Amino acid sequence: MTTTARTVIYGASEDDCRFYQSSVEKHGSPLLLFDSSKLKQQYRSLQQALPNVDLFYAIKALPQIDVLKVIDELDAGFDVASSGELDILLGLKVGGRRTIHTHPIKSDKDIRDALRFGSTTFVIDNLDELKKLQPYRGRIGILLRVSFRSENAKVDLSKKFGCTEDEVANIIFQAEQLGLHIKGLSFHVGSQVETSDKHVAAIQSCRDMMLELNQKAKAPLSILDIGGGFPGNYALQSIDIMKFCQPIRDALASLPEDWHIYAEPGRYLIAPAVTCVTTIIGKSMRYGMPWYYLDDGVYGSFSGKIFDHAEYPLQVLKEGETSPSVLAGPTCDSIDIIDEQIELPELKIGDFIIGHQMGAYTAATRTRFNLLKEAKFIVL
Amino acid sequence: MKYFKETLYDAICQEFRVDKMYFEQKTDHQHLMIFHNAMLGRVMTLDGIVQTTEADEFMYHEMLTHVPILAHGAVKKLLIIGGGDGGILREVLKHDAIDVTQVEIDKAVIDMAVEYLPKHSDSAYDNPRANIIIDDGMAFVKDCSEKFDVIIVDGTDPIGPGEVLFTEDFYAHCKNCLNEDGVIVTQNGVPFLQIEEVKNTHQRLGQHFTDATFYTVAVPTYYGGLMTLAWASNNVELRQVSLEILEQRFKEAKLNTRYYNPAIHLASFALPQYIVNQLD
Repeated sequence: MTTTARTVIYGASEDDCRFYQSSVEKHGSPLLLFDSSKLKQQYRSLQQALPNVDLFYAIKALPQIDVLKVIDELDAGFDVASSGELDILLGLKVGGRRTIHTHPIKSDKDIRDALRFGSTTFVIDNLDELKKLQPYRGRIGILLRVSFRSENAKVDLSKKFGCTEDEVANIIFQAEQLGLHIKGLSFHVGSQVETSDKHVAAIQSCRDMMLELNQKAKAPLSILDIGGGFPGNYALQSIDIMKFCQPIRDALASLPEDWHIYAEPGRYLIAPAVTCVTTIIGKSMRYGMPWYYLDDGVYGSFSGKIFDHAEYPLQVLKEGETSPSVLAGPTCDSIDIIDEQIELPELKIGDFIIGHQMGAYTAATRTRFNLLKEAKFIVL
Repeated sequence: MKYFKETLYDAICQEFRVDKMYFEQKTDHQHLMIFHNAMLGRVMTLDGIVQTTEADEFMYHEMLTHVPILAHGAVKKLLIIGGGDGGILREVLKHDAIDVTQVEIDKAVIDMAVEYLPKHSDSAYDNPRANIIIDDGMAFVKDCSEKFDVIIVDGTDPIGPGEVLFTEDFYAHCKNCLNEDGVIVTQNGVPFLQIEEVKNTHQRLGQHFTDATFYTVAVPTYYGGLMTLAWASNNVELRQVSLEILEQRFKEAKLNTRYYNPAIHLASFALPQYIVNQLD
């Protein structure tokens, strides 16, 4: 895991200041402001960058109903990982055929809930999991998740899940013996990789394995799910997704035309669409540094600092001479610190700290510690 | 929703154009819809699966009802488990001498069907010979002290609310509610695509009845070819009644049917080999 320096913006336009001020006057603080046009824009950019790929929004990134409504309007698919996520989709009347269930480990109830919902694609990575699906073999399609370790990823998603490349052939063979059809492979190179090299290498490995397996398999493998890992823009430098995906497009072009390609973007789509507004509710001088206590912290919207290793770009609305300062969250716990060495101008109680790029793995992983009021989700 | 895509199978699905949505309800984990389709009339779906359509419901309801009744020949008391849409009740009440008890778990299903699928029940719920009980089918047969000549189980898919109606326990309790010459019939899926159901049901019914088999009906919107209806009784002669006797009973019952007739009754017990192979 690498640590990234945090991007800080000093000052804001009068319009922006007024906007944050009036939002807080209207809705209170803390807030998560959701800009659906940004989400739509991200979706269209990714669609352009990956033209023949079916996109399934990774609900786990932000399972918020207003977000899911926009995804639904875009006619995108949904990547679900639990019965709870299916329940939200049921509320939106999303049809099961637009979903894939990608959690590699499931209980029988999870499987039955998914089938009742109409989600028929499941992901496995071992033989025990395969056997759980046997009673439903006539109805389902299975993707086998393969592990490709990625040392450069901020979150290595291939450590916990995915079989090794050596295991693939045997699992496919065992599936055939059980009357189950593995319709393709899937992988996750990890989140926030800096280049698409890992995607490309994984696509090439999967292609080679699938082509070889298809020479012998009773029913051909025809689906490749390239997972997620499309970058979030925490450095606030313009990310050229067309360029990031160019090597992926080239790699995909070498696949047989009749294969279906899936991807499970979460962060890339939703991160820039949500902005967090927090208010300084207390301050003190400790160890010669100003400490500012916010009304949101790592147990709340900033939970991704802990779970997702994310350092969100922050904005103070003032400019002025800065000094090293501490930004702490509102809970009693001393781990609840957003930044312990951030250059800030002198701030006062009531000032705002704005968190940008805060859509992915923020509110999704917050806790109820101290029973503090969670940030209100506002649709702009 | 402009199109309904069935979600029973991963690799294939049938799609219906939704011409007018009459009713849509989401409760807990359940998603129920009734809509109009130009070719099929009103269509009811539950959890992404077609339950019944006005155009082809007669095939299913006539076969699930008249085959056991005419095979038995002297049915006085009949029990329906499920069947909230009222199609089975409508068919049973065509037989004058039968008193019906219907156990439906959810009154809302009946109310909804009466309002939005009125042709299915065709006022059957107003008939004084129909005794409607709102209860869990499993709980009812478990505690039931009455005896019936025929039990018709008109449930949903085994993944979902009708799950318990496919268990061995349920069949055991049903047996206790049947007269010695009684017969139980159940909806049992489309075996070409759901062969496990045939295997499981045959094995489970076989634990409690000396004669457990299937008969078939091809319902177009239950995609996949023949549908199996399970048949179980301790009187093997019930499914060996001659064509002459069936014709006589059919005539006496003055049934006005569109699918059922005595010839198809007898023929429907002939099973294709891919189903027979599951029964050993």
